[in-house]
Amino acid sequence: MSGHQNGRQSVRQNGAVQAAPDRWKPHGALAMRRRFMDRLATGLSLTATCVALLALCSILLTLLVRGVAGLSLVTFIHSTASPGMNGGLANAIVGSLIQTAVAILIGAPLGMMCGIYLSDYGRGWMASTTRFVSDMLLSAPSILIGLFIYQLIVVPTGHFSGFAGSVALAILALPIVVRTTEDMLGLVPVALREAGIGLGASKWRVIVFICLRAARTGVMTGILLAVARVAGETAPLLFTSLGNMDWSVSLAQPMASLPVTIYQYAGSAYDDWVQLAWTGALLVTLGVLAINILVRVGFGRKGA
Amino acid sequence: MDGTSHASGEAPGAGSGGSGGHVVPDGAAGVMAAEVMVAGNGLAGEDFTGPGPARGFDGDRLFRGLVTASGIAVLALLGGIILVMVAGGMKAFSTFGPAFLVSSVWNPVTQHYGALAPVFGTIVTSTLGLLMAVPLAFGAAFWLTQMAPARLSAVVGMAVQLLAAVPSIIFGMWGFFVIVPLMARYVQPFARHWFGHVPGLGALVQGAPFGTGLLTGGIILTVMVTPFITAVMCDVFTSIPAVLKESAFGLGATRWEVMRNVILPWSSKAVVGSVVLGMGRAMGETMAVTFVIGNANKIGWSLFAPGNTIASLIALEFPESPAGSVKLSSLMALGTILMALSFLALAASRILLGFAERREGRQ
Amino acid sequence: MSGTVVTERAVSGNGVAGNGASGNGVAEKPAISVRNLDFFYGDHKALRGISMEFSTRKVTGMIGPSGCGKSTLLRVLNRMYDLYPGQRATGEVIFDGRNIIAPGMDVNRLRARVGMVFQKPTPFPMSIYDNIAFGVKLHETPSRSEMDGRVEDVLRRVALWGEVKDRLKASATALSGGQQQRLCIARTIATRPEVVLLDEPTSALDPVSTARIEELLDELKKEFTIAIVTHNMQQAARCADQVAFFYLGELVEMDSTDRIFTAPRETRTQDYITGRFG
Repeated sequence: MSGHQNGRQSVRQNGAVQAAPDRWKPHGALAMRRRFMDRLATGLSLTATCVALLALCSILLTLLVRGVAGLSLVTFIHSTASPGMNGGLANAIVGSLIQTAVAILIGAPLGMMCGIYLSDYGRGWMASTTRFVSDMLLSAPSILIGLFIYQLIVVPTGHFSGFAGSVALAILALPIVVRTTEDMLGLVPVALREAGIGLGASKWRVIVFICLRAARTGVMTGILLAVARVAGETAPLLFTSLGNMDWSVSLAQPMASLPVTIYQYAGSAYDDWVQLAWTGALLVTLGVLAINILVRVGFGRKGA
Repeated sequence: MDGTSHASGEAPGAGSGGSGGHVVPDGAAGVMAAEVMVAGNGLAGEDFTGPGPARGFDGDRLFRGLVTASGIAVLALLGGIILVMVAGGMKAFSTFGPAFLVSSVWNPVTQHYGALAPVFGTIVTSTLGLLMAVPLAFGAAFWLTQMAPARLSAVVGMAVQLLAAVPSIIFGMWGFFVIVPLMARYVQPFARHWFGHVPGLGALVQGAPFGTGLLTGGIILTVMVTPFITAVMCDVFTSIPAVLKESAFGLGATRWEVMRNVILPWSSKAVVGSVVLGMGRAMGETMAVTFVIGNANKIGWSLFAPGNTIASLIALEFPESPAGSVKLSSLMALGTILMALSFLALAASRILLGFAERREGRQ
Repeated sequence: MSGTVVTERAVSGNGVAGNGASGNGVAEKPAISVRNLDFFYGDHKALRGISMEFSTRKVTGMIGPSGCGKSTLLRVLNRMYDLYPGQRATGEVIFDGRNIIAPGMDVNRLRARVGMVFQKPTPFPMSIYDNIAFGVKLHETPSRSEMDGRVEDVLRRVALWGEVKDRLKASATALSGGQQQRLCIARTIATRPEVVLLDEPTSALDPVSTARIEELLDELKKEFTIAIVTHNMQQAARCADQVAFFYLGELVEMDSTDRIFTAPRETRTQDYITGRFG
C-alpha cells in the first residue's frame, strides 16, 4: 500500500488530517463558488419565472377589476351606440363569432388538406418549401395579412366587408391547422397505415378513415387553437371588416368585432365606451384562455 | 426517441409505395393538373360501393390532386402576399426612390414620406424587448425544465403558455392603463434623477414624462415574446438526451453547470433560433405597441421619446389614407419592408431550429 | 482509514498502481455496503431487500435478465435516480461511513467520488480536451500545465493518447464509438473517484472496441472499485472478480466469479448462465 505514496501525498495527508479527514465535506473557495453560482442561478431563474407569472396575474387582475363592472344584460343584448346611449356589445360579439366561424370554415379544411399533403404526399423541395412557407405564415405579422386582403378583396369590391375580415382571419388560422395536422398524422403508427393498406383499402381511404380518425383529437386541438388565435386578432380586421356601429350579420357589409371595438373604444374620451372596452377585453380574454386551458388540460398537449 | 420525427418521414414512402402498385402508371398522369382530376373524376367518383380502385373511380388520384392543390395554394398565398405588398408599395418607391429608405420625414401635408423613423422605432423597440425577454425566457425555461418539480413545472409552464395566448390588444390596453402610468410616475422621473446628468446616459433619459415611448413599447414586447421564447427553449432543453445530462451530473456537476457547459453548447443553435423567432414576432407586433408607442414619426435618442413602429404606423395612419394615394402606397412600402425584415428573421430562426431538429433525429 | 489512503494515492496523479495493491486487498473492508435496499419507481417496487458488498479495488459484475434491477442498483450507488421525481430508495447504502441514500447527502460530492460510465458513449458537445477538463474543473482548480498533464495521463491510461494527441482541440463527437467510450471512461477517472460504475459500457460497441475496454478494466481495478452491469456472460466471466446475479428485483446469489460460473448454489443462477432463460 505505502509503496505508491510519495512526498506530495504525505503533505496532503497531513493537511487532510489537520483540516478534516471527512472527504464528504467539500471545502475551499471552489466549492463555495460553485454552490454560490448554483444558488444564484436557481434564484435568478425562479425570479424570471415569477416575473412572467406576475405579468399574467397583473393582466388578468386588471381585466377582472375593470371589466366585471360592465357585465350586464345590456352589454349582451344592445349593440354599440353613441356615448351615453346605453350601448352594448351585442353586434361586436356576434360579429366576432361569425367572422371566426367563417374563417375556420375556410381555413380548417384547407389547412387539413395541406397538412395531409405534407405528411403523406409531399416529397422533395416542393414539400419542404410548402412546410417552410406555412411556418412563415404562422409567424407573419398579422397586420400585413390585413393589408393584403384589403388590396385583394376590399379594393376590388369597393367596400369593407365581414367576408374580407373572415378571409384575413382564415389566412391566420391556416398555418396552425397545417402544422398540427401534419404533426398529428406523423404520430399515427406506421403499423396502423400498413394494417389498413393490408386490408386492401386505397391510400386516401386509409388516410381519411383511419389516420385522420386516429389523429382526430390532435387535429381538433389545432383547430381550437386556431379559433383562440383568430378570435383575439385585431390588426387584420382594421382594414377588412372595419367595424360597424350597428347590428349587422351580413358578410357583405362591414362587420363589428370585439377586438376592433375594444381598439376603438379603449382610447376614447367617454367613460361608458372605455368601460365597454374593458368588458369586451375581459370577454375576449376569458374566451381565448378558456379554449387554451381546455385544449391543454383536456387534450394534454402543448400548443402549436 | 426519434420515432416521432421518423414516423412522418417513413409513412409516406410506405403508403405511396402501396398505392403506386395498382394505380395507372404515373408519368403522363402526373402532369395533368389537379383541376382536371377534380373535374374528370368527380362524376365517376360517386361509385363508393366498389371495394377497391377499379377502372372507374380513382379516389387516390383525386385525393392526391386535392391535397397537392392545397399545398400549392399555401405557396401561392405567400407569393400573393409578397406580390400585392410590393405592387402596392411601388408608387411610393417610384415617387421617392431610394431616398424613401433613408428619409426620416413623414409629412402628410407636403406629401413627403420616408421609412427611416418607423424602421428605427421597430428595430429599437424589438431590440429593447429582446434584451429584456431573452434573460427572462432563459431563466424561466431553465427553471421549468431543470429545477421545478414535475407537477409544479406543468402548472407554471401552462400559465406561461397562457400568457402567450392572450390577444395582443389586451397587452396594449394593459400597457396603456397599467404600465404607462408606472413609467410616467416612477420609472421616468427616477431615471432622470439618477442618470439625467451623467454624460452620455443623460440623452437616453430625456423627455417629458408621458410614460409612452420606445422603452414602454419594448417592455410590452418583452412581456409578449417571453412566453414564445420560453416555449421554444423548453422544447429545446428537454430534447437533450437524458444520458448526456446524466453523465454531466455523474461527474458531480450542479444543475447550473450542466446547463451552462452541456445543455447550452448542445443546443446553442436552437437557442439562437428561438431568440431570432422572438425578434420576428416582436417586429411584427401591432396592437400592443400601438397603444404605448406615443405615435411620433421622428427619431429620438431618448428611451422615453415617443416613436412609431412600422406596424403601429400602418394601423394608426391607414384610416387617413385614401385608396390610391401616395400615403397608402407609402404604408404598403413600409409593409413590404416589415415583411422583408420579419421573413428574414423567421427564415433564419427556422434554419437554426431546423438544424437542431435534424441533429435530434440523427442521435 | 485505508480508504483515505487509497484515495489520496489517487489524488497524487502519477497514476499506475503497483501490483501490491490487489494482494493487500483481501483484508480490506468493502468500499460500499448495501443493506436491505428497496427501490421504488412510483408504486412499483424494483428492488427488494438487496444486501451486498462491493469489495474495494475489485470488479463486481452484475448480471441478470432485462428489468431485473441491476441497472437500478447502479443508479442508486451515485443517486442518479434523484434526477427523477417519484423514484426513491429505502434501506442503507454505506460508503465511507455514510448512508448515501439518506437525506442531506451532498449528491454532487458523492458523484465526484462515485463516477459513472453509460451504455452509450456520451461525449459532451465540446473538444476532447474540454471533455476531460470539465469534470476536473468542477472540483479542483489546477493550473494550465497541471491540467495538461492530467489530460495526457488519463488519455494514456485509456490508451487513447496516441490516437488523439494531435487533435485535442477537435470536437469529441467526431471520434468513433469505441474512442468516445474510452474518452468517457477517461473523463470519469480524471476526477479521481474511488468507485467507477459502468452500465453495460460495451453494449453499443464493436468486438474490437469491447476487447480494449475489457483490457482497460483490468488496469483500472488496480486503482478503483468497479461495479459493472453487463448482459454479456462471457464479459462477466472475463472481467469480474465477483458476480452478483439478479432476478426480478432480488439478489439471487453473489459469489466469486469462479463459483458462480462453475458451481452456483441456486438453480435459477444455473439456468440463467447456461442460457435456459433470459
